[in-house]
Amino acid sequence: MVENRSLGQKLDWAVYITFFVVVLCLPLLTDDVFWLNRISKFLVFGLLGLAIALSWGYAGVLNLGQGLFFGLGAYMFAMSLKLKSTTSLQQGSDKPVPDFMVWNAEPGSPTELCCIVPGSWLWLPFQSQTFGMIMAIVLPIVVAFVVGSAIFRLRVSGVYVAIITLALVLLVRLLIIDAQPITNGFNGLTDLGWLELFGIEFDPYMYETYYLVAVSCCLIMLAARWLVSTRAGLILQSTRDDANRSRYLGYDVAAYQIFFFVVSAAIAGFAGMLYVVAAEFASPTFLDISFSISMVVWAAVGGRSSLIGAVIGAVLINSIEASVSETEIFKEAWKLIIGVIFIFVVLLLPRGIAGVARDFARWLEDKHLLSTSKRG
Amino acid sequence: MSYALTVDGLTVDFNGFKAVDNFTTTIDTGELRVILGPNGAGKTTLMDLISGKTTSTSGEVKLFGREITRLNEHQIARAGIGRKFQIPSIFRDLSVMQNLEVSASGEPSVFKNLKYSITQEEKQKIEEVIELTDLSDVLKSSAGDLSHGQMQWLELGMLITQDAKVILLDEPTAGMTKQETMKTADIIKKLKGKHTILVVEHDMAFVRDIAERITVMHLGKLLAEGDIDTIEKDEAVREAYLGSGGIH
Repeated sequence: MVENRSLGQKLDWAVYITFFVVVLCLPLLTDDVFWLNRISKFLVFGLLGLAIALSWGYAGVLNLGQGLFFGLGAYMFAMSLKLKSTTSLQQGSDKPVPDFMVWNAEPGSPTELCCIVPGSWLWLPFQSQTFGMIMAIVLPIVVAFVVGSAIFRLRVSGVYVAIITLALVLLVRLLIIDAQPITNGFNGLTDLGWLELFGIEFDPYMYETYYLVAVSCCLIMLAARWLVSTRAGLILQSTRDDANRSRYLGYDVAAYQIFFFVVSAAIAGFAGMLYVVAAEFASPTFLDISFSISMVVWAAVGGRSSLIGAVIGAVLINSIEASVSETEIFKEAWKLIIGVIFIFVVLLLPRGIAGVARDFARWLEDKHLLSTSKRG
Repeated sequence: MSYALTVDGLTVDFNGFKAVDNFTTTIDTGELRVILGPNGAGKTTLMDLISGKTTSTSGEVKLFGREITRLNEHQIARAGIGRKFQIPSIFRDLSVMQNLEVSASGEPSVFKNLKYSITQEEKQKIEEVIELTDLSDVLKSSAGDLSHGQMQWLELGMLITQDAKVILLDEPTAGMTKQETMKTADIIKKLKGKHTILVVEHDMAFVRDIAERITVMHLGKLLAEGDIDTIEKDEAVREAYLGSGGIH
């Protein structure tokens, strides 16, 4: 981004515009709604790649527990959608009650959300879809702020941040599984209702839903790009390079780190909400370590110092995974293949696909300069 | 009161070892002060204490009469102290221009920096520094690709765009060639008067070139203070630091 503002920046914008055009025009090319639904999930993963690039590439903070924020966002919103599902209304109460609570309830408990199982009252406000949507963003923000404040005020850095975040996502995963009566444990929240917004019901297999996800992704990408190109974004990158230097220039480094950690968490929480809309479930697998590590791989392959690179990395890897896993041999070997790709990228292309593209642009520009200087 | 920096009874105790021991000195506004002393005299620790990297055990530091002893690093920096480290400390992955843009922001807050714009005043400061440090040809290069000397000048330049009233320089010519050292001396001389400067340095030719007043430290204590002739003749200094050969 530094190297050559002229051509490099043009290339960057060209990639953004091409990406937006492709993403927004895809529905015109196909009427396969299942395929579109799949793509919308990959776009959500793209947001996760972006969230990683923001914290890892720009702040130098490797978060191995990004799934925590994704999972929290997903669960918060899935709770609202669960109460909107028709089965929740068929449990013998005039107010919605999730089916699994009835299965988990002690005999004789009232079939009411307030007291059917211990702690079920926590679900009460989620009868409002708006509350679920707000919580899907606010809870990740609050958790990220508390965790981030603890980590960054104590000046924890490097691999220790990775270990803390990794441990945290595992801890919350255990808590969710353990709270079976109110979270449905391992099974997660399934059989959800549909998001209803502006009078439209978002059936996951409808064009409207694809557009909801796609447009949200594009807007978030633009917002994130704006954020990193402000002076605050520049100062954040300076703290990545040399936190002490930033401190002695008069910046409260922790404040910058916390702010961007929180933004990254909010994006992941929002992605969790979108994923629930497209996939119609929330499960503890969202908080699996392997999932959080996958996000890091997507960002690394795409290029962690490029937001759009990370998005493209995520979409690309997931598309490949989806197509090869239909072949029986590759299905088993996929994890191995992705591992090899990761090692290859880390060793040979530390700046990922985006880095290759930038080098190419630079090479083009040098060549161009050379030829014009010869002519001159 | 025209003191830029007042250090009064400053002490730091590392488990019984006093790296800086009851150190007192005052530095006039616009003065250039050189701090000398053998290895382990506490020179760098003194800078650490002033800039907030290390917390003192007792004593106080005042900047233009304002007590800054207990502030955090970034608050001390905002109060007007700039620090250059011995090993060049710059943002290697950012361009030279971006390095200067980071240092030039008069606004510490995250939220107030959520903007593109750079004020005319900041722009002007940056341009002055580019001219002073002669970095105009490399503005777009990554700072990590600069030569050792250029890195040192960039860091020095960042302290000026930061608008530091008092600049602490820890061995600014370490590892430099003769030409680079001369150029550094030129830059520092140009800053005299506009900024108050505190330099730790070993290179005696360089010290002779720039020094006005010298403070000699030994075992964390103030040993002598005065102009270069006084210091060269001082018996205690000779004994403690210079050996029998005098300053060479």
